[in-house]
Amino acid sequence: MSGKIERLERFVDSFSKWLNWVAGVGLLAMLGLTIADIFGIKLAQAGVPFFRPIPGGIEVVAFLGVVVTTFAVAYTQVLRGHIRVEFVVMRLPPRVQSVITAFIWLLSFILFALLAWQSFEYGLSLQAKGTVSMTQRIPFYPFVHAIAFCCIPICLALALECFKSVRKAVRG
Amino acid sequence: MSPVTIGLIGIGVLVVTFLIGMPVGFAMALVGTAGFCLLVAPDAGLSLLARDFFSNLSAYSLTVIPMFIFMGSIAYASGMSRRLYAAGYTIFGQMRGGLAMATIAACAGFAAMCGSTNATAAAMGRVALPEMKRYNYDDSLATGCVAAAGSLGILIPPSTIFIIYGIMTEQSIGKLFIAGVLPGVLLAGLFIIVVVILCKRNPNLAPGGLATTFKQKLAGLAGVIEMLILFGLVIGGLFLGWFSPTQAGAAGAFGALLIGLARRQLTWKSFLFAVKDTLRITCMVMIIVTGAIIFGHFMAVARLPLVLSEWVGGLPLPPMAIMGVIVLLYLVGGCFMDALALITLTVPIIYPVVLVLGFDPIWFGVIIVLVTEMGVITPPVGLNVYVIKGVAEDVPLETIFKGVLPFLAALLVAVGILMVFPQIATFLPGLALY
Repeated sequence: MSGKIERLERFVDSFSKWLNWVAGVGLLAMLGLTIADIFGIKLAQAGVPFFRPIPGGIEVVAFLGVVVTTFAVAYTQVLRGHIRVEFVVMRLPPRVQSVITAFIWLLSFILFALLAWQSFEYGLSLQAKGTVSMTQRIPFYPFVHAIAFCCIPICLALALECFKSVRKAVRG
Repeated sequence: MSPVTIGLIGIGVLVVTFLIGMPVGFAMALVGTAGFCLLVAPDAGLSLLARDFFSNLSAYSLTVIPMFIFMGSIAYASGMSRRLYAAGYTIFGQMRGGLAMATIAACAGFAAMCGSTNATAAAMGRVALPEMKRYNYDDSLATGCVAAAGSLGILIPPSTIFIIYGIMTEQSIGKLFIAGVLPGVLLAGLFIIVVVILCKRNPNLAPGGLATTFKQKLAGLAGVIEMLILFGLVIGGLFLGWFSPTQAGAAGAFGALLIGLARRQLTWKSFLFAVKDTLRITCMVMIIVTGAIIFGHFMAVARLPLVLSEWVGGLPLPPMAIMGVIVLLYLVGGCFMDALALITLTVPIIYPVVLVLGFDPIWFGVIIVLVTEMGVITPPVGLNVYVIKGVAEDVPLETIFKGVLPFLAALLVAVGILMVFPQIATFLPGLALY
């Protein structure tokens, strides 16, 4: 049993790490596009030929915002990077601590499971309606589906945390 | 049950979920969704969750957050914190308490490139604490001054808290940034005065360092010049209306990248570290902001902000007294809650009250930041103190908290000065060219 859990843990770890690199590419693309857009705008204003603002630059940068956060969300959880108030729980006996942490990871799991389900449905409705961005006509739905997809590794990571806390509580 | 009662119960449940250790962003999103489901309809609440996540994460106005965080991370990875400290050392080093003053000055300089308190404290702590230890500085003074001066990170622009406050209240981020400059300089000055007073009272706290030559002073200035160029580009660009906030952040990150490459300090490894660091902090901040937006929607349908502002507006008290109470509430809240969570949670509720009382929104933003700075150094949830504890592992937490106290007094004095002279915060934004 514990061997399977460790294998799952390793899988969640490397899966979320990979997704984190996708977020990293999104971040660099965001920086590159914004800089290119600044040069395009300023040089075009100065009358330099061939330079112009990136068409729909702002829209693309905004969509990259979805990539940067959602693809990093699971790895941030693996690193325990989501801010928590720990000073109250830390003062409780270890067994009570484990019960409480199992409960909070269960609640967190429920949140991301709901988000996955609702984002998937929302994505389908946007796809059916054909909703696209104003200037570049970029469809919205792939980004909403990306949110749903990125909920999978964080749900797995949270379920693992919950399981480990339950095990700790039972074993004492 | 009335919507207001459900709203109040929601706040109670949220505080409980915080205290049992649920990540604050997750807690706000979950309680907000549950509250909305209860007050409006289950379908509406669930679909709000997905819609708020997508609309918030795909908002162009929020892309400013990763850009400024990236700028700070690259500035650190390029060794700018080390060079700023070296510059501070050449100026103050030989004075009694000079290393502590150099640390405060360098924190103020690094704050001009970095928008977070804990990143500033961590960056300067790693550089300054070993030096102060070498010169036999008192642990309490050494750690206390970095923890406190690190909090300048959110007052001197760029600032994550100003960005989030600006987005939540629809105020200009550029004007908020500029509003933080003079209070930031004032506060850094007050911190230095604290060091002078402490050293006068007990000269053993901080012995003087070695004197530096004119040539060394000149070399040290290089660290200041690169900071001033970057600050001038980013904040000057915002001030003159050249850049949108996102563009200013990107220009800053790109500038820091170029400085790091030109100085051959930025390696591939440290660049990857900066990317990973940026992703982790951005994700943490964005999830809290998204959670707060969902919770804010729940509060809005519960009509709490409206009821509260009507009630406070009708109180037979002068506005300044009510502001005093608000500051006190933030101070107490800041002791127990993470600063970002406190701001995102309370601003939608308190801001209408502030407007009803007739206060300047930009000035209030500065006050909020000052109070937040106190929150990051007060026990038990003083994030900066924990960051410094991470750097100086051998120093007990109590010693750091004790060291922070005199600087806390300086922060209170700064709030008092800004209440009496609001112009310190509102003068520069009034000159902005937009």
